Amino acid sequence: MLDKLFNPDVVAVIGASRTEGKVGHAVLKNLLEGSARKIIPVNPKVTEILGLKCYADILDVPEKVDLAVIVIPAASVPLTLEKCGQAGISYVIVISAGFKEASLEGARLEREIIAIAEKYGIRMVGPNCLGIIDTSSSLNASFAASMAHAGNIAMMSQSGAICTVTLDWADRIGVGFSKFISLGNKADLAENDFLELLKTDDSTAVIAAYLEGVKDGPRFMDVAREVTRRKPVIVVKSGRTAVGSRAVSSHTGTLAGSDAAYNAAFRQSGVIRANSLEEMLDYSRAFSTYPLPHGKKVAILTNAGGLGILTADACYSTGLAITSFEDVTIAKLRERLPEAAGLYNPVDLLGDASAQLYEYALEILLDDPNVDGIIAIVSPQAMTDVPAIAQVLVDTIQKSEKPILCNLAGGTRITTGEKLLNRHGIPNYPSAERAVASMKALCDYSSIKIKEHTNSVVMAVQREVAQKIINDAIASGRRTLGLESIGLLKAYGIPVVQSRMAGSLSEAIQVCEEIGYPVVMKIISPDISHKTDVGGIKLNLRNAEDVERAYFTMMSDVKHYMPNAQITGVQVQQMITGGKEVIIGMDRDPQFGPLLMFGLGGTYVEFLKDVSFAIAPINDKEAQHMISSIKTYPLIAGVRGETPSDIKAITDTLLKVSQLVMDFPQLMEFEINPLMVMPEGKGCLAMDIRMTLRKE
Amino acid sequence: MASILVSSSEQYSGKSSLCLGLGVLLKEKGYKIGYMKPIGNLLIDVNGLLADEDSEGIRKLLGLQDDMSYITPILLTEKLTDDALMGVEKDLDDRLKEAYDKVSKDKDIVLLEGAGGIGGGAMYNLSDPEVATKLDTKMLLITRYDSAQAVDRILCDLRIIQNTEILAGIILNEVPADKLEQVSHLVVPFLEKKGIKVFGVIPQDHMLRSVSVSEIVENLNGEILVGANHMEDLVEHYLVGAMEVGSAIKYFRRMPNAAVITGGDRSDIQMAAIEAKVKCLVLTGNLHPSGAVLGSAEEANIPVILVRGDTMSTIEKMEHLIGHARIKQEVKIKRIVELIKEYVDIDGLIAEMGLGK
Repeated sequence: MLDKLFNPDVVAVIGASRTEGKVGHAVLKNLLEGSARKIIPVNPKVTEILGLKCYADILDVPEKVDLAVIVIPAASVPLTLEKCGQAGISYVIVISAGFKEASLEGARLEREIIAIAEKYGIRMVGPNCLGIIDTSSSLNASFAASMAHAGNIAMMSQSGAICTVTLDWADRIGVGFSKFISLGNKADLAENDFLELLKTDDSTAVIAAYLEGVKDGPRFMDVAREVTRRKPVIVVKSGRTAVGSRAVSSHTGTLAGSDAAYNAAFRQSGVIRANSLEEMLDYSRAFSTYPLPHGKKVAILTNAGGLGILTADACYSTGLAITSFEDVTIAKLRERLPEAAGLYNPVDLLGDASAQLYEYALEILLDDPNVDGIIAIVSPQAMTDVPAIAQVLVDTIQKSEKPILCNLAGGTRITTGEKLLNRHGIPNYPSAERAVASMKALCDYSSIKIKEHTNSVVMAVQREVAQKIINDAIASGRRTLGLESIGLLKAYGIPVVQSRMAGSLSEAIQVCEEIGYPVVMKIISPDISHKTDVGGIKLNLRNAEDVERAYFTMMSDVKHYMPNAQITGVQVQQMITGGKEVIIGMDRDPQFGPLLMFGLGGTYVEFLKDVSFAIAPINDKEAQHMISSIKTYPLIAGVRGETPSDIKAITDTLLKVSQLVMDFPQLMEFEINPLMVMPEGKGCLAMDIRMTLRKE
Repeated sequence: MASILVSSSEQYSGKSSLCLGLGVLLKEKGYKIGYMKPIGNLLIDVNGLLADEDSEGIRKLLGLQDDMSYITPILLTEKLTDDALMGVEKDLDDRLKEAYDKVSKDKDIVLLEGAGGIGGGAMYNLSDPEVATKLDTKMLLITRYDSAQAVDRILCDLRIIQNTEILAGIILNEVPADKLEQVSHLVVPFLEKKGIKVFGVIPQDHMLRSVSVSEIVENLNGEILVGANHMEDLVEHYLVGAMEVGSAIKYFRRMPNAAVITGGDRSDIQMAAIEAKVKCLVLTGNLHPSGAVLGSAEEANIPVILVRGDTMSTIEKMEHLIGHARIKQEVKIKRIVELIKEYVDIDGLIAEMGLGK
């Protein structure tokens, strides 16, 4: 797939130009600098460019063209693309800007070219992109100022400028790429297509991406899950804040989707999220250079005590373990290290440490089975021979099966050493924190790679019953459902509190007598979503008198707060005590679909925002992860001798909700609030629900 | 020739809709229909002549041939009001009767629509009951039923009418779904016990309160940026997008058929509205949205309207617009006719008017 896009035999440049400084010229020149393949300029105004015969029209070209690079004004692209289709060209890169990113007229042009590409089965990169580079086939179909160095990092970016910046940065420190893809507006080919390609691309060891959004969330997860088992995928996703996501919407005409959904999707599919370009490049270089550590036990080697401590702090706070050495390691270190040296972790060689001492210590640490990786720090003290130490590092790293991440700290005096590392493709992390973050990424990926993904188990449910409840609601024009639709949960085997509806006070009293006191009474209205706020919940009613009083106050309070709310009646429930309240919810994310949410219930929940997320469908493990990853998890698990809550029952409910929201795409929002969880072995009960439906 | 005057205690109770619906139905039954709104209180300019907005609309929709000056012989201009206050004799009764004679000629039935409230025109001795008496026709009272206070209004109207002989009966309109039971079990029997005939109980219908995109454009003096081929789509509610985008999308999804009002610079809210498939976007502050957002709106078939006013003033205008819309759209007329057919005792009404076909 896409082979001829990255390694075409014949490339046409439509809109090739003789004028230096023009994009049409730069693209042609870049192509000519690559390996010997046939390059054909197309431009009606000239007959020859850079010594090549220039055709007036793509349809005049006698050869079969594999790839056409289009560099003409946006308005002319549809006609040209149509001609490419007629000429039987399979791959097109539209570099031209002026499409959806620019104006309404541009958006229309973009729709037009999508239709034309579909009609002819043309696969298209862009529009509004820098182009693509493949170092293994020596193709530079871009207007980048320089060709990328060869390497094993594949990079794709939704921003052309970020491509340029990365290439320039990489050029200075000698970082190489296998493929470089500017995604542009992603009118046709997008991240998922390239991820699939890169999965089996032997020249690529690491995939890095700058994205503003994904085109097809569920497919992204499927593809990424597959790819990340083979090679690491690192993504910077911009627009994580409100202002950022507004800029993304304005720029791309897409809804960014919630950042929580991206975090969940990335975590579930094994994608490593970087928070900045710098992090993305740091991680990419780490993966590009080092073998994966087998665990997260880190040794710190330094010639500066302070830097060693800072590094230890950084390791601890990111979740890496500062390892304890075996006795033999300590004994061997003691043999050669000065008396004042630190022998435990961090290992402090002291300020006058020589290259030989570094070499000795590195060897001993690498031999220790309790060491999965090393962070080596070098500070340029008066007696430090930085280049010699750098050489030791290079030599050791090249033969080591464990990662040794380097932090030559300083400025002018480490330059030579840094260059030496870079020349051998080894990154120098300018700060210990950055080295630690990259080590963490390596460790994380070690566990991602071996993670087994099991599909969620399909449970026996009464789907038709649920279907009927939803159909009836849609037929009656209702968009929001509440307590009256609790049957939906029953159909999916989720235990619900015993409850009955009543249309009037006398009916309510009768129902209360049947259920048995004490009871809870709740207002039922399609217009009220926060019952507590309008006085729509009365707890612990012990007799008919209580019920009567509660009924009248409730009706007058609700009328007072929401005079226009339609009131269908009240719901009477058993009063349940002795459990803990949790919430299970779902919002349908525009990018990834059903985003499940779990959190502890109660009044402070909205304020604390202590919730966890996952994209449905989830399996057992993911459900358990959701429950245990909230900060207040100990409260559910039981603190200070408390009986733990029935976590298995929560897991079970989460799985059933996952199945429910997968079965019914009409459910746009869903919330069980609260789900009352009883002590271990006693199960749970849904007390109230709220849903929003979408018209089919 | 039979006739009836449709009156109400308040404006926006559904008089025009009822006249229109009855007109269509009676025409279907083969009757020759005439229509008058004797006193025009909603002045508009029609080809350089003053006319009443309601009656001009109904004249067109029912395809009436009568001259506008007979359909609405008296227009409440400032001059007329000043003259009435000064006691200048204007021979309004003669004008009324002359027009009525013209309109009713060769007709089986004439529907008369009151001006505003039941007492409107009292300063010219032309309140609805006075007009009914002068033209010797009966009155049909239509009342919006929002709460039990509607019963008070009806009984009060009866006192204004004085001679209750001329009241044919009443229709309760726009009854909320949760009050239908109360109305049919308690209110109707109560009124009938008092000798008031109830010809119909019409439930609230959101579609009829809706406005079209073109009406929004017109009333907000807006510019349509995309979606010009969806001008006749109907909007039932409006929502204000002033929250963060995560809450916005939930909020929009809960309200079907809404217009979303937000700032032209809130591209995130705009995209949330497009994602939630709302009916239209109203962008305030004369801030042009980005081309990418417009492109997505166009693709989703969602009209985007740009207005000059700020969000607050736009909300005020929308608030007034929704529920006070004039009936212009074919779909709405169809719906009115359906509702009248289903919920109004047409045969009873025909009998009451003394038409014997």
